[in-house]
Amino acid sequence: MEPALLQADQLPTWTALAPVLALAVTGLLLLVIDSIDPNDTRPTLLAGVGTVGALAALGLAGWFLSAGTGQPSTNGAITLYGDALIVDGMTLFFQALFASVTALVVVASYDYLRGRAYQAEFYALMLFAATGMALMAAANSLAVAFVALELASLPSYALVAFLKRDTGSVEAGLKYFLIGALSSAVFAFGISLVYAATGSLLLPDVYEALAGDLTGLTGVAGVGILMVAGGFAFKTASVPFHFWAPEAYEGAPAPVSGFLSSASKAAGFAVAFRVFVTGFPLEAGVDWVLLFQVLAVVTMTLGNFAAATQEEVKRMLAYSSIGHAGYALIGLAAFTGAAGGDVLGASMAHLLVYGFMNTGAFLFVALAEHWGVGRTFDDYAGLASKAPVASVAMSVFMFSLAGLPPFGGFFSKYFLFMGAVDAGFWWLAAVGAVNSALSLFYYSRVVKALWLDDAVSEFELGSTPTALYAAVVFAALATVLLLPGFGPVIETAQSAAAAIVP
Amino acid sequence: MAGIFDFAPAIVLLPFLSFLIAVGTALSGRDLLPKGGAIPGIAATGGSLVLSVAMAAAVAGGEVYDETIYAWAAGAVPGSEGLELTFGVLIDPLSAMMLVIVTLIALLVHVFSLGYMNDDGQTGLPRYYAGLGLFTASMLGFVVADNLLMAFMFFELVGLCSYLLIGFHFREPGPPSAAKKAFLVTRFGDYFFLVGVVAVFATFGTAQFVGTESAPGFPVLAEQALHGEFTANTFLGLGPQAWFTVVGLLVLGGVIGKSAQFPLHTWLPDAMEGPTPVSALIHAATMVAAGVYLVARMYGFYAVSPTALGVIALVGGFTALFAGTMGVVKRELKQVLAYSTISQYGYMMLALGAGGYVAATFHLLTHAFFKALLFLGAGSVILAMHHNENMWDMGGLKDKMPVTYYSFLAGSLALAGIFPFAGFWSKDEILFETLVHGLGGSPLLLLGYAFGLLAVPVTAFYTFRMVYLTFHGEPRTEQAESPEPVRWNVKGPLAVLGVLATVAGAVNLAPVAVLTGAHVDFLHSWLDGGFSALTVHHYEEIDPYASAYLGGEVTTVLLGAAVSLGLALLGLGLAYRLYAVPEPVEHTDKLGSVKGLLYDNYYQDEYQVYLANRVVLPLARAADTFDQGVIDGAVNAVSSVSLFSGSRIRRIQTGVVSNYAALVTLGLTALLVVFGVLGGWLL
Repeated sequence: MEPALLQADQLPTWTALAPVLALAVTGLLLLVIDSIDPNDTRPTLLAGVGTVGALAALGLAGWFLSAGTGQPSTNGAITLYGDALIVDGMTLFFQALFASVTALVVVASYDYLRGRAYQAEFYALMLFAATGMALMAAANSLAVAFVALELASLPSYALVAFLKRDTGSVEAGLKYFLIGALSSAVFAFGISLVYAATGSLLLPDVYEALAGDLTGLTGVAGVGILMVAGGFAFKTASVPFHFWAPEAYEGAPAPVSGFLSSASKAAGFAVAFRVFVTGFPLEAGVDWVLLFQVLAVVTMTLGNFAAATQEEVKRMLAYSSIGHAGYALIGLAAFTGAAGGDVLGASMAHLLVYGFMNTGAFLFVALAEHWGVGRTFDDYAGLASKAPVASVAMSVFMFSLAGLPPFGGFFSKYFLFMGAVDAGFWWLAAVGAVNSALSLFYYSRVVKALWLDDAVSEFELGSTPTALYAAVVFAALATVLLLPGFGPVIETAQSAAAAIVP
Repeated sequence: MAGIFDFAPAIVLLPFLSFLIAVGTALSGRDLLPKGGAIPGIAATGGSLVLSVAMAAAVAGGEVYDETIYAWAAGAVPGSEGLELTFGVLIDPLSAMMLVIVTLIALLVHVFSLGYMNDDGQTGLPRYYAGLGLFTASMLGFVVADNLLMAFMFFELVGLCSYLLIGFHFREPGPPSAAKKAFLVTRFGDYFFLVGVVAVFATFGTAQFVGTESAPGFPVLAEQALHGEFTANTFLGLGPQAWFTVVGLLVLGGVIGKSAQFPLHTWLPDAMEGPTPVSALIHAATMVAAGVYLVARMYGFYAVSPTALGVIALVGGFTALFAGTMGVVKRELKQVLAYSTISQYGYMMLALGAGGYVAATFHLLTHAFFKALLFLGAGSVILAMHHNENMWDMGGLKDKMPVTYYSFLAGSLALAGIFPFAGFWSKDEILFETLVHGLGGSPLLLLGYAFGLLAVPVTAFYTFRMVYLTFHGEPRTEQAESPEPVRWNVKGPLAVLGVLATVAGAVNLAPVAVLTGAHVDFLHSWLDGGFSALTVHHYEEIDPYASAYLGGEVTTVLLGAAVSLGLALLGLGLAYRLYAVPEPVEHTDKLGSVKGLLYDNYYQDEYQVYLANRVVLPLARAADTFDQGVIDGAVNAVSSVSLFSGSRIRRIQTGVVSNYAALVTLGLTALLVVFGVLGGWLL
């Protein structure tokens, strides 16, 4: 028993959801501002509120993480509302990740959206999507997982189609929505089958039921688990549910692409990690470790191979993001039960570093779109002479994505592959390493274009978008600083992951 | 507590600062400094000299210093404690003595350069002084290094500086080529040194020379390992004794390259292409001395390996004689000096290999003085002769350049080993040590002794052939009739070194000590102080040699001195007969077929070029073919396969959303079927 004094000092348990609430309230506040003053677009106020909200969520998540809320150092995970929601280290880790990416993207959008209509709606949609992602990380029941996933997805469809006079954006939004609808159907059907086999939607109960005797319902459970995996594969843009990704990322406004490919993907992993590790025992009808091994290898290989032959930088980044989904899948593909926390944590840490470097890369593309520079590698030629700081940042992102030292992406990939090797799946690490080597080819094409090639045509860059620049530089700084600062990150991630392993 | 030793890093940093100043001046492209940057160099080396003398005084007072300044890398090593890579300073009698030598010679060379470079109107002076500053700083850093890795790093810097300075006149064809040769040949040796450094770390987990009581340096660990008190990691299935010999020989590779020992001596004569003050610095105090100093520094490690000692002794003895014979026929002044340097360092190696630690250090000291003197004297002559170095174009300079002549004569007498000049004492001690240890049951050393003894008359002969041809007789050219006068900045250093070359032998009058019993072997007592593991008597305890005498110690001392002095006088007399005449003529034709052999340096360059062309080049070509064909081929194949499949994958992405829906469904169905079958619940 805790001493009475301490208990009196403790906050009520619902406050553990503060990061989620901060995001949701900020989204609502933006709508309120817009309804008070619908015509007068106040970009600074809107972006400011959005940033403050995201940073508040980041601060709360960071505070909880360091204070030990929901972690073994205090009283372990906090469950709420009939165990439907859970707050533990992993929840907070991912919420901090989503909040960081949201803050970066909101700041960058300030310049990107300049002079466009419906800005308040844009920021509100983004905050609601972030709320959905934060809930996905806190889902302890399959029903919550589904609702949260939809809460994250529906604003995303609108965000992708935000440039409604741009046919590319609208087409991308529609495709994203159609594939999303299909995937949601698969996911919901999968959940219903799992429920049919186990009689519960709460993950711990599902785990128990699946670990017990299913008496003829193994097939039902197996199909259900596979279909649930399909739903997550959609969210994480993994093969074979990846088809929407290149088109959506390419057509969407670049900040939205960054948001989707970093935060939304990480949210998919957050809920997938939770559901599979705490909900589905390894021996339950389907060998899901093998399933994720297949998905990981195919996803990373397909993503990298396709990225290598692209001509447009944004589309290359889209495929590279598929490739990175393949790397992150190693967290589940090399999961070995009790000792699986290490590789799972490495995967989480990789997603965090990826959140900064990939968002930064897309924001650089946003910068290029803002300047009216073309979309292909050739159009980027000689850009470094005009915008050296941003080009340095982009080079940092590219080398970090490829996994070269001295950037954050080196350690995160290193720990991920080491985790796979330690778990006995050296071949998985080998495939990852080969793919990384290949990825260096197309990432360095960007750097080469920026620094070495001569510009094909003269271009005037015009004004410098301060907020966008700041977001790019900040992301680059974070990418660099995550190398020396990787120790605490990987420790937090691995202990958070170890805590959820049943 | 702040002591004088806290200033030890400043000895290295001062010349480095002068290097930075000179580089800054050179980069600015303007003539910012008076004298082209010589003044900061002189001030810096002067300051270092003062500090070095202060260090030596403190060491004389019985203090020593071994401190780690900075640990720049640390890591865990399986099976041992952590491994640290550090920079540190070690001041003990040996390094204090070397510091004084190096800073003194560097200061004199800087001053001399005022006359040789500035007064001669040379261009690129900031670059020159930058090179000198870095050269001095590197050598000083090497001298104070307290571990083998740091020593290696500064050893490499010394090599780099020699490259920069030998190739100073880079627009002429000769110097760049000579610089490259010096760099490559010494690098060949350094390659083995590097492997040796790694081997030392792998074997002992430390590369400290001294270390502490609880974690001693590697020479002490080697000794303990042989007594079974420490377990060293040995490799290749060798026992500790054999493995230590291998490691010692690997490090010796670097020594042989830097100290120009057979067969890696070929770079040194070519290095004469550098400005003459640089030659003085290279030969007397920095580059070439570095090799011998390294062996002395880690002598405790070599002392426990009789085989390594034997190799050192034989290589040294052979080089002493071998290089001497080549010096006999050379026409250029500096070429003669170059071969004499190789030969003299051969003596030092012979001494080290024969257990004569004090003798070798002693010769290092005296040689530094008289060889710097001879080079600076030669520089003075070359300046007077408008850069004509051919001795056959000189003659009769002694009356016109008295200061140069007399100081050069003092240096020559020292080099030839004539009583009572400095070289006599040190060379005599080397031969004596070799002889008594050879008699004491190491017959191999007697072979080394024979080499050394035979080299004595050869040395005296070529030295005085040089003196007579240059300074005596009638002037043979117009330039020699009216040489360019030289100023104080040339004469001053010559005078200082002339005095030192004459009297420096007094620091260790070992024969006198034996004969009279007076304690006049000061250097011996000096080197017997400091860290107990680095003292002379410790080395004498652990080295494998015993002493024996021919009819008593006194008899042996007298006999040895008489024989070597007699042989030196014999060589001198022959030179006098042949060349101390008003109109000397070449006598080389009398040598017959040997003449060509000597002129062409025993075809050393030729066989090395042959090896490079016929053995190394085909091997390199084969490796290149393998690299281009197999490795690159595999890489290219992988990339073309990837790009091809990448372009195929792009085609799946048709842009038609119904196709995507179909593919998603098909993919999911395929997974369902496969895993259903695998899971045993489908079909």
